[in-house]
Amino acid sequence: MDFDFSPEEQKFADEVEEWLVANHDPVVMDPTRENFSQLADTPERRAFMKKLAKQGWLGMSWPKEYGGQEIEGVYEYILNEALSRHAAPQIGKGVGIIGKTLIRHGNEKLKQEFLPKILSAEVEFAVGYSEPQAGSDAANMQLKAEKVEGGWKLNGQKMWTTSAHFADWYWVGARTDPDKPKHDGLSLFLIPMDHPGLEVQSLPTVGKDTTNQVFFEDVFVPDDYLVGKRGQGFQMISEALDLERFTMFTLSPISERTRVLVEWVKEATRDDQPLREAPDTRRLIANIVTDTAVAKALSTRFVCAAKSGGKPPTIQSSQYKLFTTTLSQRVCDEALDITGAAGTIREGQDEAPIRGRFEGAYRATMNETVGGGSSEIQKNIIARRHLGLPKNF
Amino acid sequence: MDLDLSEEQQMIKDMTRGLLEEHCPVDVVREMEDDPTGYPAPLWKQMGEAGLIGVLIPEDRGGSGQTLVEAALIYEEIGRALAPTPHFVSGVLSAGLLLEGGSEEQQARWLPEIASGQAVLTPAWLEPDRGFGEAGVQLAAKAEGDDLVLSGVKRHVNYAAAADRLIVLARSDEGVELVLVDPRAEGVSLTQVRSQSGEAHYRVDLQDVRVAGSERIGRPGQGWELFERVLQRGIVLLAAQAIGGADRALEITVEYAKVRKQFDKPLGAFQALAHYMSDASTRIDGGRVLVHEAAWNDAQGRSIARFAPMAKLFACNTYKDATRMCCQVWGGVAFTLEYDAQLFFRRAKEMQLSWWDTRTLEERVAADVLDR
Repeated sequence: MDFDFSPEEQKFADEVEEWLVANHDPVVMDPTRENFSQLADTPERRAFMKKLAKQGWLGMSWPKEYGGQEIEGVYEYILNEALSRHAAPQIGKGVGIIGKTLIRHGNEKLKQEFLPKILSAEVEFAVGYSEPQAGSDAANMQLKAEKVEGGWKLNGQKMWTTSAHFADWYWVGARTDPDKPKHDGLSLFLIPMDHPGLEVQSLPTVGKDTTNQVFFEDVFVPDDYLVGKRGQGFQMISEALDLERFTMFTLSPISERTRVLVEWVKEATRDDQPLREAPDTRRLIANIVTDTAVAKALSTRFVCAAKSGGKPPTIQSSQYKLFTTTLSQRVCDEALDITGAAGTIREGQDEAPIRGRFEGAYRATMNETVGGGSSEIQKNIIARRHLGLPKNF
Repeated sequence: MDLDLSEEQQMIKDMTRGLLEEHCPVDVVREMEDDPTGYPAPLWKQMGEAGLIGVLIPEDRGGSGQTLVEAALIYEEIGRALAPTPHFVSGVLSAGLLLEGGSEEQQARWLPEIASGQAVLTPAWLEPDRGFGEAGVQLAAKAEGDDLVLSGVKRHVNYAAAADRLIVLARSDEGVELVLVDPRAEGVSLTQVRSQSGEAHYRVDLQDVRVAGSERIGRPGQGWELFERVLQRGIVLLAAQAIGGADRALEITVEYAKVRKQFDKPLGAFQALAHYMSDASTRIDGGRVLVHEAAWNDAQGRSIARFAPMAKLFACNTYKDATRMCCQVWGGVAFTLEYDAQLFFRRAKEMQLSWWDTRTLEERVAADVLDR
């Protein structure tokens, strides 16, 4: 039993921390963007990713033959936690899901075209799985891919493609074999985001940022840009989630919110009395801090299971996501309870406590218990795989 | 980072589980409820021989000199088995007080016997209508020559009838004192008060009980400081016990949910119920890691001023909530004494209210977070 990083891991964590402090840039690192701070969606943030690439921090866990260092995934976890603690863009999508899938299943052309660009942060991806009829039921994608001469013609619609308005390439699941069972009829494609047949429509959200829906009209994709084997799309999507154990979503933004709240409570007053002396506030803070420690414990549990290299830590990951996202919302809720009426002042105004950080976060975190596998999906996974209960839907 | 148990830790855990399964099946647990002694002699003897009682007592005092981590593993098993024993009051608190503040003579006299199980000691702390803090200790200790004369009332004194000595928290002009008192001494009377869990609890009335000054543990007025320090470590073990209880309660409930059918489906095939159990398992598994983290930090010599109350706060709330949920899944039968779910349900609430309750623990966490 050991709750500390190994000396080598700690050295890397210190190195990253030092580098991030030295390279602090408020334009790149904006905690008020909450979950959207992980995106490299502006020129400044893309430039920052290139600096990360120069540090050699992209693709650390990749095989050496593809430019990686073959080091343990836990270093990517350490990196991503540090990045998200500083509200900087994170690694994950390109290096993780797409890079690792291409390494395992991509043809030579795709490997050569994309892997070096991922390592040098020259390409940003959007991921298109969700559709109007494929939310939690992810395998129910209906985007139609018809075989045509030399490639495929795609027609239909994707939902919730967060990065569609700035990405260079689109990683898309589509139905190539409608007659097969739903899990076996999907394939993965790579499409340039500026394809004239794609129409990106912005969807404003209750948070500050927007997401997108994307319409496909006769989008031609050459054969070479079908990733892996036809009909293996869903299997590759699932496998990527298992492979990408360490960078799924980070705890730091939540523990940072708890820290920011505590710091504020220490200084704030109510009716000229220190707020930290109010019994109701003390109770709320005690429970928030305690539950944040439990979230950390569940994250430790998940990382240790991932490090063991055995079975994918599906159960640990589901428990972590379920607990942590629920807590994330509760921290925002109770932070506003502590601020009282001042909590209603919209984010970004000096008059609001902590410039409305929690007013904004209260809205922005709404989606955390939905995106990336809803709480209910996580509970189904835990019920069946951990507790061994029968299928319940 | 690594959450695996060492071979020796795994051995301690397995051995404890085996021992409790053999000597403390659930019918023994039921039999001991409201029993004046409150624990089965054969179980206690076995625990002593296996070195479990003295887990935190150094080897040169007859114990096995383990860290809080090993002790937490034992307590998780005690929690699973619902084992009624004076381990906590004797092997953890009394032994801890003697180790922290006892004289050479007191340590030599009591620690080996505590470790073997031959002697049982129990603190007499709480008083009617008083709280968990230092101000709650008002039982009078009057100095008369070299003696202390104790008068007042204590409540929630566990296993007092079986105890060789009480460690009475009393208030003198100097502050709080810890005094070893023979429960059979003149002026001491014990009255069993039945508790929610059925554990052997006593009200202790002390009327002009004269004790030699040499029976004081620690310096005059040092009692509260010692008691707080020892209890702070101890509650990590209660947190482990709560996690063990919650885990076992969930386990029997999940098994039941696989076989009990309604509407031609097992209960576990209803999301409404399955999701309750998924939530509980998440809290239990997370709570266990938090408890281990607290114990591990203590074993590393780091402060657990925040970890310890967080661990008990979360674990006991989880135990309480999980057992209520379990009873809901069992349905009507959980309401009957015949079924075991209620055994966990009652103990969970009692644990949450004992040895620093929710409010006290919240305040301790808040103080560490906000006042430093």
